[in-house]
Amino acid sequence: MKAEYNFSPDLFTVAAKEDRNKEKIHRPSIRYWPDVWRRLKMNHLAMTGLGLIILFSILAFVGTEINGFKYFEQNYELINVHPDSVHWFGTDELGRDLFTRVWYGTRYSLFIGVMAAFIDFAIGVLYGGIAGVTSRRIDSVMMRIAEVIYSIPYLLVVILISVVFSSAGQGSSLFVMIFAMTLTSWVPMAILVRGQVLQLKESEYALASESLGADKSWILRKHIIPNTLGPILVNVTLSIPRAIFAEATLSFLGLGIQAPRSSLGALANDGLAGLPVGNAYQILIPAIFISLTMFAFNVLGDGLRDALDPRLRK
Amino acid sequence: MTEPLISARNIKKYFDVSGGQLKAVDGISFDIYPKETFGLVGESGCGKSTAGRTIVRLYEPTDGELIFNGKNIYNLSRKEMQEVRRNFQIVFQDPYASLNPRMTVEDIVAEPLDIHGAYKTREERSDRVIELLRLVGLGEEHVLRFPHEFSGGQRQRIGIARALALNPKFIVCDEPISALDVSIQAQVVNLLKDLQEKLGLTYMFIAHDLSMVRYISDRVGVMYLGHMMELAKSEELYANPIHPYTKALLSAIPIPDPEVQRSRKRIMLEGDVPSPINPKPGCRFVDRCSCATEICRKETPEFLEKSPNHFVACHNV
Amino acid sequence: MENVLEVRDLKISFQTFFGEVEAVRGISFNVGKKETVAIVGESGCGKSVTASGIMQLLPMPPAFFKGGEIIFNGENLLKKSEKEMQGIRGNKISMVFQDPMTSLNPTMKIGKQIVEGLVKHHKMSRDQAENKAIEMLKLVAVPQPEKRINQYPHEFSGGMRQRVMIALAMACNPQLLIADEPTTALDVTVQAQILELMKKLQDQLEMSIILITHDLGIVADMSDRVVVMYAGQIVETGLTDEIFANPKHPYTRKLLASVPRLDMSKDEPLYSIDGTPPDLYIPPKGCSFYDRCTEAMKVCKEHLPELDEHSATHLSRCWLNHPMANKANSMGGGEK
Repeated sequence: MKAEYNFSPDLFTVAAKEDRNKEKIHRPSIRYWPDVWRRLKMNHLAMTGLGLIILFSILAFVGTEINGFKYFEQNYELINVHPDSVHWFGTDELGRDLFTRVWYGTRYSLFIGVMAAFIDFAIGVLYGGIAGVTSRRIDSVMMRIAEVIYSIPYLLVVILISVVFSSAGQGSSLFVMIFAMTLTSWVPMAILVRGQVLQLKESEYALASESLGADKSWILRKHIIPNTLGPILVNVTLSIPRAIFAEATLSFLGLGIQAPRSSLGALANDGLAGLPVGNAYQILIPAIFISLTMFAFNVLGDGLRDALDPRLRK
Repeated sequence: MTEPLISARNIKKYFDVSGGQLKAVDGISFDIYPKETFGLVGESGCGKSTAGRTIVRLYEPTDGELIFNGKNIYNLSRKEMQEVRRNFQIVFQDPYASLNPRMTVEDIVAEPLDIHGAYKTREERSDRVIELLRLVGLGEEHVLRFPHEFSGGQRQRIGIARALALNPKFIVCDEPISALDVSIQAQVVNLLKDLQEKLGLTYMFIAHDLSMVRYISDRVGVMYLGHMMELAKSEELYANPIHPYTKALLSAIPIPDPEVQRSRKRIMLEGDVPSPINPKPGCRFVDRCSCATEICRKETPEFLEKSPNHFVACHNV
Repeated sequence: MENVLEVRDLKISFQTFFGEVEAVRGISFNVGKKETVAIVGESGCGKSVTASGIMQLLPMPPAFFKGGEIIFNGENLLKKSEKEMQGIRGNKISMVFQDPMTSLNPTMKIGKQIVEGLVKHHKMSRDQAENKAIEMLKLVAVPQPEKRINQYPHEFSGGMRQRVMIALAMACNPQLLIADEPTTALDVTVQAQILELMKKLQDQLEMSIILITHDLGIVADMSDRVVVMYAGQIVETGLTDEIFANPKHPYTRKLLASVPRLDMSKDEPLYSIDGTPPDLYIPPKGCSFYDRCTEAMKVCKEHLPELDEHSATHLSRCWLNHPMANKANSMGGGEK
């Protein structure tokens, strides 16, 4: 069945060569990270988490100025006031405004969480990267050392360090605490990085690079690390809530932040006394904020993991 | 008689694996002359890829020598080897895996230049990259794109551009077309041929597609389980194969012509290609050979010249 | 000859983030009884999607049938429920895939995998099914079948695994076997064995075969008829002898010219097709081969070519066969 076409003979002349684009790439260039961001945006839970993190971060700085009370301002007339229109989160046993103190505490919780995660990242990447590229023997030794370090009970380490430093007159300063926390927590990151490096070391583009004359450090820098950033980022995002919780636990036990500074965990500790006397809000409110912060980072980290997974590409 | 560009002498590469020792390459020797294409064929497990990689010292050899410019490259220090590497390049099989997915085409092609510090200004670098891309039929518009945006054939061409960056003399093409579509294979092979003419390159072309190897190679070596079974000029090999394995291999290849195919008599080999782990002594082909005799099981046949420039390793010829 | 399978104007697309990808854009072909039809084309042409589509093994979403019919034994498969299809798969229509390692269950013994299908489709007892399984393994020349039915896939070599796949596919005596690149992953000498095996089985079991491949040598060796696909469409179809002797479509011609032959002279140049196939997010309006065709005319860009019948069996779609084309280019326009 031939349709009736009204063709002009001109149509049957040879098409110009330039008109035929042989090597055309039709689709727009999708770069890696923008694509990850696009996929992350589609995950509403992760976006909520991100939003909360941004909100809390902002409030950590400006929240203390919002309602006019200072975090250290004590007011004996107004102790243990339940949340009302003046003191939105109530006051503690010294009459300090809890709303302001929560944001003051968040400042330190976030700082410690992010710092600890960053240190884990730095040590972990360095250690894991080296272990991955060296000879099997050195790698074995490095891994055994890491395992031993990791198997030391974490709380024991912290208490030990605190005691050592306080006997030296330092007290539990911020950095001592972070030091104590990160002494053993970098190991999972190192193991992750090492695993990635071992795998990527065998990739053909790493081999190609070697054939071009690259040495191990070049291959590590240019080829391996950039391709591991995805899983590393996920791990970092997920280790922040772990660090926050760790600090909260320590402060709750009285081993962490000392007055005059405070963190959410320390606030919870302060609020513990209020529980049996009907002032549950004093511990509940800091606890809720610890939970929300952790939740936010966790869902963001999960969302990132999904967004980076090539198999889940939509 | 010209001097060979490289001489391989008794190259061996063994791997330690859980079952024992994998003798991937078990003593092969050959010369490659300047501006020629030396084809290396064989089925899976024959060691041809390992041979290619060992020759450019991507793998450290278990034994043997590779003479280039009068020196055995296996004895060179790391620094001296760097210089040699400028002359020895590899194009890999898998165009999807041999390019770093996070790097732009420009960075990929410029990597050898970066490693060896072969330029002074950024402009020099990008000019050279564009020049190389043009050589392989791509262009300036591709420079900032990423590997996943290209087809297999295009990626392979990017790999070739990268291999050419330092003006090498010798390129090992390790199954460069196996992962490509049929019509693209011809594209890449024609490109390689053009470049050889233009730039005076010498190739070692490793593949399992015998028809393609015949087309592009001047001389062809047939490997089986780590040993070289036959070596001859490509026309001679295909017209007068001597080794029983070569004969079976050639007869197994279907010819794209139904009439011819119908009238062919096929030599059927029994069984599968055996494992190169802990091989038994004697000729490696003995289990599948239709004319195997007692001596084939006991002694490994020597690689001898049976007719001018035609080498075979077989007791029964 | 009666047709076992009739595909009519089949259209399959995929819904993706960027939009719709038209993988199969209206193809029609038939498979007769005891016939081997080869579908040739390069990656992305739609041949594997067609094969999986016939068996309805495509993930739906994102794939969906946009139109057309698949008539098997007089019934339209697209109208069948999943349950009905399960009764057909492995039973009346079987499929053999390229990579036997991923298509065989690595945690299940070989024998069990064959027996399952027999018990389900043919309602055999375990014992009967086991005997049949041994028989099938004998048929495909797996040595010591009684011992090997209790082994796992990883204990077999590549060629053996493919034989097992074939045994599995043949066990229920299907009318149609769809083989999707069955020998691509195998060595040449093993490939020859497998192809001989398939020919023998086809004869014995009176089966039709759809052979999907990109290897023109295999096509010449195995098939009775050829369907050439490009960018989701059929550009040419005909008897194998017709296609090889007298290809009518520039793509077919170029394809044949780009494959080196053992029996051709070394000095004959190898033609290659420049460029790459079109992206099917934006399917071309006219002939999909336009961008890469050295004989392209202006009309080719605008309009999809009509179907030309060169013989009862030989069809192609190309404007070069239009009477007006011959006039305009009688001076020998276009490159060869």
